[in-house]
Amino acid sequence: MNSGDIKAWVDLQAHAEEMQSQHLSELFQSEESRFDMFSFAAEHFLLDLSKQRITKQTLAKLTALAEQQELSEWIEKLFTGEQVNVSEGRSALHTALRLPKEDALQVNGQAITKDVHASLEKMESLVRQIQQGQWRGFDGRPIRSIVNIGVGGSNLGPLMACDALEQYTPIESQQLDVHFVSSMDGSELEKLLPMLDPATTLFIVASKTFTTIDTLANANTAREWLLKASGKPIELINQHHFIAATGNIELAQKWGIPERNQLLFWDWVGGRYSLWSVIGLPIALKVGMDNFRAILKGAHAMDVHFREASFDKNLPVLLGLIGVWNINFLNIHAHAILPYDGRLTHFPSYLQQLEMESNGKSVNGKGERLNYRTCPVLWGEVGSNAQHAFYQLLHQGTELVMCDFITAAVRYEGEGDELQQQHQLSLANCLAQSRLLALGAESTTDLSYQHYDGNQPSTTIMLDELTPETFGGLVALYEHKVFVQSVIWEINPFDQWGVEKGKKIALSLSTEFKSEVGEHLDSSTKGLIQHVQANRGQYEN
Amino acid sequence: MKINVYGAGLSAWVAAACLAKVGNDVAICEMSLTEQDELMMISTVRDEPNLLQQLELQMNSGRLVRDSQPVLPKANIHWLAFQPEQQNKAEEVMEQLSQADQHGLLVINQCNFAVGATLDLQARLGTKGSVVYIPDNLQEGSAIQGFSQPKRIILGIDEDDALIKARALLRPFSTGLDALQLMSSREAEFTKFAITGMLAIRLGYVNELANLADQLEVDISVVQEGMGADSRIGAHYLSPGCGFGGQNFHAYVSKFSGIFQQQQQQSLLKAVVEANEVQKELLFRKLWQHYNGALADKVVAIWGCSFKPGTASIDNAPSIKIINALIAQGVRVNIHDPEAVPNLKKYYADEGLIRYFKTPMEAVDGADALLLVTEWPLYWSPDYAQLAQVMNERLIIDGRNVFDKQLLKQHGFYYYGVGR
Repeated sequence: MNSGDIKAWVDLQAHAEEMQSQHLSELFQSEESRFDMFSFAAEHFLLDLSKQRITKQTLAKLTALAEQQELSEWIEKLFTGEQVNVSEGRSALHTALRLPKEDALQVNGQAITKDVHASLEKMESLVRQIQQGQWRGFDGRPIRSIVNIGVGGSNLGPLMACDALEQYTPIESQQLDVHFVSSMDGSELEKLLPMLDPATTLFIVASKTFTTIDTLANANTAREWLLKASGKPIELINQHHFIAATGNIELAQKWGIPERNQLLFWDWVGGRYSLWSVIGLPIALKVGMDNFRAILKGAHAMDVHFREASFDKNLPVLLGLIGVWNINFLNIHAHAILPYDGRLTHFPSYLQQLEMESNGKSVNGKGERLNYRTCPVLWGEVGSNAQHAFYQLLHQGTELVMCDFITAAVRYEGEGDELQQQHQLSLANCLAQSRLLALGAESTTDLSYQHYDGNQPSTTIMLDELTPETFGGLVALYEHKVFVQSVIWEINPFDQWGVEKGKKIALSLSTEFKSEVGEHLDSSTKGLIQHVQANRGQYEN
Repeated sequence: MKINVYGAGLSAWVAAACLAKVGNDVAICEMSLTEQDELMMISTVRDEPNLLQQLELQMNSGRLVRDSQPVLPKANIHWLAFQPEQQNKAEEVMEQLSQADQHGLLVINQCNFAVGATLDLQARLGTKGSVVYIPDNLQEGSAIQGFSQPKRIILGIDEDDALIKARALLRPFSTGLDALQLMSSREAEFTKFAITGMLAIRLGYVNELANLADQLEVDISVVQEGMGADSRIGAHYLSPGCGFGGQNFHAYVSKFSGIFQQQQQQSLLKAVVEANEVQKELLFRKLWQHYNGALADKVVAIWGCSFKPGTASIDNAPSIKIINALIAQGVRVNIHDPEAVPNLKKYYADEGLIRYFKTPMEAVDGADALLLVTEWPLYWSPDYAQLAQVMNERLIIDGRNVFDKQLLKQHGFYYYGVGR
C-alpha cells in the first residue's frame, strides 16, 4: 500500500492532527464515562483502552481502515489454511493446533485436525510414562529431571508457560524438575549439568528444522556428558535420554533419536507460534496433560472470538488497531510490556520475539518497500520491578512510550490474607502507574523536576484470574493482535529472513579463528579475531 | 470383662480374637458405614495365619460378637485399634463415652496417632475413666502369637488408678513376659515411633551398604556376619533386600517422618523412606541393566509377591513396584506365590501381560529371567538342573540372597544378589 492512496489512512492522519493537541487528562474531563466507552470484555478478559489517546471517532476510523485492508478476508485465509506465509509458500495454522477433535479441518488433502490430535496423543502417552516414573534412564531408574534444549520459539513459549502456571503442577508431576537450556555458548548447561544425575535426566531436543546450531551444540554436549557418565553405547543413550520435538524427522533420526522418541509438528507451524504443538512437551510435563489441554482450550476460545466478533468488540482487532494508531499516527515508537504479576516474568521476552520477529519488516508481501513504520521497539519487565528501573524514562523522559499493563483481577483466593494483601498492593501500583502516566501531575512547587507531563497512553489487560485457560487466551490474543497489524501494514508476519544471513556469516567466520585471518574481512572483524587469538592459551586455570 | 474393640485393621481383629480367647466378652466395632463383609472376604483377616479360625472359634463360643453400633454402654473396657489416619474416629468414641452414664472406664489406646494423642483422648473422655497407651507391636504373619505371648510390654500410663485395671487386663498375656515397662503415655508413644524408625533406618542403611558392595564387588553377606558379631550392633535387621513393605511398618515410619517435618526438622527417616521406595525397584534395575534396557516382549518369572513370607498381603510390597515397571516395558510376567495370588488378581484385574502359575517351576518355563522377590521357604532350594533346563535364559535375580551363588554359576546361570 502507498499509505497516501488509502482514504482511511489519510482520514486518520487528519484526525491525528486534531488529537495531537488533546491531553489525556482533558479527554477524561470531557468524557466522564470513558471507561464504559472504551473497555471491552470477552472470554474472561477485560481490555481497557480508555487511557489511549482516542475518541469514538478514532475507533470508527480505525475499523474503517481494517475494513479497507480486508481484515475479515485475511482472518478467514489464516484460519482456513491459505498460504498466508507467501515468501515461504506455507499456511500458518497455529489456530488448528488448538482445534477440538470434532472440528475437522482439511487443507490440501491433509486431515489437519486428525494429525494434530494424533501428535497430541503420542505426546500424552510419553507424558504419562514419564509422570508415572516408567520412563527409564540408562541404569533403570526413573527419569526425574527434564532439560529442554531449544532456542527462540522452542524455548521462550514453553519457558514462559512453565513459569506462569507452576502453581497448577499436578501431584504426578511434582517429582519432576523441568529445566531450559538455550544459549549457544553452553553457559546454562555448564551450570546445570553438575546439579543433575545423568542416569535420571532426559533431554528434549526441540528444533523445528533440527539444524539450529545453538540447539545441536547443546545437545551434543549433553550427549557427551551422558556417554561419559554411563559408559554405555550411544544407541542406548539416544533411546533412553533423548526426545525430539521437531518438524524434521529425517535429521532427528540421523542425529540418533529413534522413531519412538520423535514428536512431530509441521512446516505450517511457525517456530514462535509452536508452543501449542509438541514443542509444548515441557509444559505438559510440568503442568500435566489436562492443564495443557486447558491452555489449548483457552486459546481456541480466543480464536473463535477473533474470528466471529465484530471489529468494534473484537479484542485482538482492537489491540492491534490501537497499536497502529499509536505507531503510525501518534508517532510512538516504543512499546513497554508491563505485567503486574510475577508469574508472567517471561512474558515480555516472549512478546519481543512474537512481535518483533513477526512484524519487524520493511517490505510488503510483494517485496515492495513500505513508506510507513511497522513494529516498534518492544521491551518490558514485571511492572513492580520495572518501577525501580526504567519507569523514570516513562514518566519524565523525552520519548513517547505506549504501555500494556497486564494483571489478574483476583489471585490467592483462599490462600490467606497476607498474600491477598500483596496482590492488592500490586494491583494498586499497576493502577497508580497507568493513571499517573496518562494524567500526569503538576508540580506542587515551582521545581520543574517534580512535574509529570503525563499523556503517555496505555492499555490495561485484566484477566479474571490466571489459569491455564486464560493463559492460553492471553497468548492467542497477542498472536492475533500481531496478525491484525501485519494485515494493516500488508506485511508477511510469518517469515524471518532477517535472522538468516547472520547465521551464515557466523558459520564461515568460525573457521577464521584457527588460522591466519583472511584478508577479505573488514578491519574491525579482523582486529577482533586477532585480539582473541592473541589472548588464547594465556588464562588456563 | 466386657470389652469393646474398635477398628477394622489387622490389630483390631487380632486383639478381639486374643481377648475373647482368654474369656472376655468382646464386641468388635468396625465402625464402617457400609455393610459388614463376611470374615472370609476381609483380606486382612484372611491373610493372617490362624486369625480367621480363631475368630470363628470365638464367635461360635459366643464370646465375640461383631457389633455395628459404635459404643456399647455395657462395656467397661474400650480398646482402640484404629489406623494412624483415623484419629477422628477415636475422638468420636471418646465423645460418646464422655456422655455415657458410666464411670471407671478403662480405655486402651493402641493407635499410632501422634505423641500426645493419648492425653488428648483423655481430655475428651474427662472424668469418666482413664486412657492408657499400649504400643502396637504387631508383626504381620505372627500377629496372634505376638499378642498372646509378648516378650515385653510397654505401658503408657498417666494416672496410677489405671495401672491395676490395665495389669489385670493383660495378666493372661503376661506369663512369658521379660519386662513390663511403665512410662508416661507421651514417652510410650514416642518410644513406639522411635523403635520403628530405628529399625527402618537400620534396614535403609544395610540396603545402602549392599548397593555399594555391588559396585565394589564385595559380598555383603560376609560383611553382614562381621557386623552382626559386634555386640554393639547385633545380628537382627541386618539382611539387605529389595525394600521393606507391609501395612503397619510403612504407615508408622511415614507417620513418624511426618512428625519430624511438622517440627521443621531435617529427618534421616524421610531420606530412608524415599530410598526404600527406590530400593523396591532394585530387582527391576538389575534386570534392566542385564538386558541394557531391551525388555519388551521378554518373559520374566517372579517368585513370591506378598510383602513378606507367611502372609497374603501385598500392601506396599516391592513386588507391586517391580510388576508395574515390567508391564510398562511390555514384559510378560509369570507369577507364582503360595498365598498372594487372589490379592494380585484383584489388584491387576485383567492385565493381559500377567499370568499366574500353580507351581514355581511352571512359572519359569521359557522365562528370560527369574526374580525372587519374597523368600517363601519353598523357593529356597529349587532343582537347579531343571531350572537351567526350562529357562530360556539362565538369569536369576535374587532379591533376598537365598540361593547358592557358586552352585548357580556352575549350572551356567547369571546370578545377581543384593550386595553380592
